[in-house]
Amino acid sequence: MQGLKIQRSPVEYKPDVLMWKLEGAMDSDCIDLINTEFNSILEMKQNFLVAEMSNVSFVSSAAIGQLMGHRQTLVEKGGDLVIAGLSFDIKTKLTLMGATKIFKFYNELRSAVNAYNWEIEKKAENVWLSFPPELQFVPSVRQLVSRVARQKGYTQRDAFRIETIVDEVCNNAVEHGSEKAARNIDLTISIDRDKIQLEVVNASDPEKIEALEALSKSVVKTPAPKLGDKRGRGLALIKMLSNGLDINCSTEGTSVHVTKLREE
Amino acid sequence: MDNSNPYCIKMRFPSDLDYIPPVRKFVAETLQVNHFSPKFAYRSEVIVDEICHNAIIHGSRTMDAMVEIDCKIFPDRFEFEAHDQGGTRDDLDKLKNAMNKTETPSIEPLLEKRERAGLGLEIVRLLSEDVKLEIGENNMTTVRVVRKREDV
Repeated sequence: MQGLKIQRSPVEYKPDVLMWKLEGAMDSDCIDLINTEFNSILEMKQNFLVAEMSNVSFVSSAAIGQLMGHRQTLVEKGGDLVIAGLSFDIKTKLTLMGATKIFKFYNELRSAVNAYNWEIEKKAENVWLSFPPELQFVPSVRQLVSRVARQKGYTQRDAFRIETIVDEVCNNAVEHGSEKAARNIDLTISIDRDKIQLEVVNASDPEKIEALEALSKSVVKTPAPKLGDKRGRGLALIKMLSNGLDINCSTEGTSVHVTKLREE
Repeated sequence: MDNSNPYCIKMRFPSDLDYIPPVRKFVAETLQVNHFSPKFAYRSEVIVDEICHNAIIHGSRTMDAMVEIDCKIFPDRFEFEAHDQGGTRDDLDKLKNAMNKTETPSIEPLLEKRERAGLGLEIVRLLSEDVKLEIGENNMTTVRVVRKREDV
């Protein structure tokens, strides 16, 4: 069994995050090496550590216990030690040992860094989508946004409300956008820990520009629709479910910007 | 939509495995609403999963990398493209070798060793009619897959 090697390096663009590239078997003989390396990290005042373990062939309970202790030290300093790139077999063994209750596991280094950006730096992630202005695309678009929200840890209730907003905005873009323009609808999603921002841009229908401009000016004061009204409920619903709505309309195109704060 | 005017869908998302499930489901659902069979949609979902997985694992050099996909829906076929930054020289060589294989290699040795690495492109080839690789400036890599409708 090959002995453990530890290579230390900073993570690209992330001076606060340090990576340990571990290679070989993490048996009980490597405890001293792990401790020495960890102490030098403490001296460097680095509190966030990613243990990249894709080339680790074995992990003893003593070694994982040692890592748990070191993680605790970092957590007390406001940092963390996470594990990335473990093989399926070792991950299964560590899961049986209950290590998943202590450590966060990521499939690869990039996922661990993205999680750091998300959790600590509260950085937004952006998704851009361009789809044809046809109603049949709206259900899959709204479910895409809902699934992204769920994947990023939003609750089912939040995700469902976001889905409703996307449905209304995209339906409006298809129904009230220009039928003649051969332009797709653009949807930009910007999601972070606290909020999701959606921007939908479509080609303006020249005949509806005036009405849409008036609507965009009065959007803050849009009265609630009456019971018998068949139209006009969509915007009211978006306003109810979101925390910010802005409409801009010009001959270049119509853009609707919605901000929805995470509730739970 | 017709053969000269297909539906075009483009998407750009962070190079993170978390995004693959929503993206592949989106493509499958989009195909179903455009009257492709559930079986066709599911197999296309498998293709999207494999290609996006490769783009994220092997084709993203920087931590802030993005993956871009283009889907074209024709009445008789589905065309899918994934664009990524291109990986290391080693990644690109492996990709070129895999694309240049004229015969499907035996998967028995891989299965015996319980290795899944290397199976992705073979699965894509098995499920599609055409797979092409383009390496552009600065190693930007595009994988293009064509899958014909089965029920016509």
